[in-house]
Amino acid sequence: MKVLIIVPAYNEELNIEKTINDIKNNTEFDYIIINDCSKDNTKEVCEKNNFNFISLPINYGLTSAIQIGMKYAAKNDYDIAIQFDGDGQHQAKYIKDLVKKIEENKCDIAIGSRFVTEKKPKTMRMLGSNLISIAIKMVTGKTIKDPTSGMRAYNKKAIKMFVDNASLSPEPDTMVYMIKKQMKVEEVQVEMKEREFGESYLNPIKSMQYMTNMFFSIIFIRAITRKNK
Amino acid sequence: MTLTLRIILIIASLFSCFLCVTRIKQAKLKIESSVVWLIGSIILILMSIFYNAVEWISAKLGFMAPVNFVFLVVIFFLLIQTFMDNIRISTLNEKIKDLDHYIALKEYDENKKHKEE
Repeated sequence: MKVLIIVPAYNEELNIEKTINDIKNNTEFDYIIINDCSKDNTKEVCEKNNFNFISLPINYGLTSAIQIGMKYAAKNDYDIAIQFDGDGQHQAKYIKDLVKKIEENKCDIAIGSRFVTEKKPKTMRMLGSNLISIAIKMVTGKTIKDPTSGMRAYNKKAIKMFVDNASLSPEPDTMVYMIKKQMKVEEVQVEMKEREFGESYLNPIKSMQYMTNMFFSIIFIRAITRKNK
Repeated sequence: MTLTLRIILIIASLFSCFLCVTRIKQAKLKIESSVVWLIGSIILILMSIFYNAVEWISAKLGFMAPVNFVFLVVIFFLLIQTFMDNIRISTLNEKIKDLDHYIALKEYDENKKHKEE
């Protein structure tokens, strides 16, 4: 199976080299970096190291970065596309577990989850994660323990959905949409690290915004997704 | 409805009509989007000329004063307009994003070709 790892990167000059080396050393899959019009030297770092990268001329955020990655995957006929953060939080050694899960034909989407076998810590952030979990459970009846995880693997069917529907983002509400469309979503236990350099995209205000958006999207919009006949 | 309000309404709508027509001539506004504004100002003029009708309708609908009815109509009109604008902005946003992706993928292909040569 042809596997593509999509690495969205925005202002990650300090982390990107490490992430790509991690991918190269621990997997034999193809990767593509999506440089989302970074203001720092991310592009130069990619050029210097001769990485495989696409550079967007306008910054449009994570959703757009993943979407162009999906377009690239569909164009080059990849069977599995994996969303993998460029900030060094994700570890490449777990990618093969996600791929294995899909290959064994157990599911359409595999989520790299921190809490399949581990327990959730009781922090503010995890409260948000819990709320989204509850909303998903209410709407679809399925338990997803780590809905906000940014490490997900999608099979060909899911890639096609991303290419066809521009409203899909790499976020929990899309999982609801996919489940409603009768796609199978499974979780695989992974470990994540804290980011080493650079700033996280989520500050308290943005986190609140994110939570509100997700909640409304799941409860009011994705909940009324029509099933495929 | 007082005479002052009627005069203000007439002046305002005539002014917006005038603005629409001149902007179309200068090609700054598309005819399709100006039609809505023209219709809006015509309604305003009609309401100020036939104020008896407005008074009758607002009394039938239970408004405290006919002016409230006029304001309500204007507010609805503006609400619909902003909502339509919102939709237009979203569509434009999607289109720019598609262009963004198109340019990036094209550049990627060109760079790849360049490297192979």
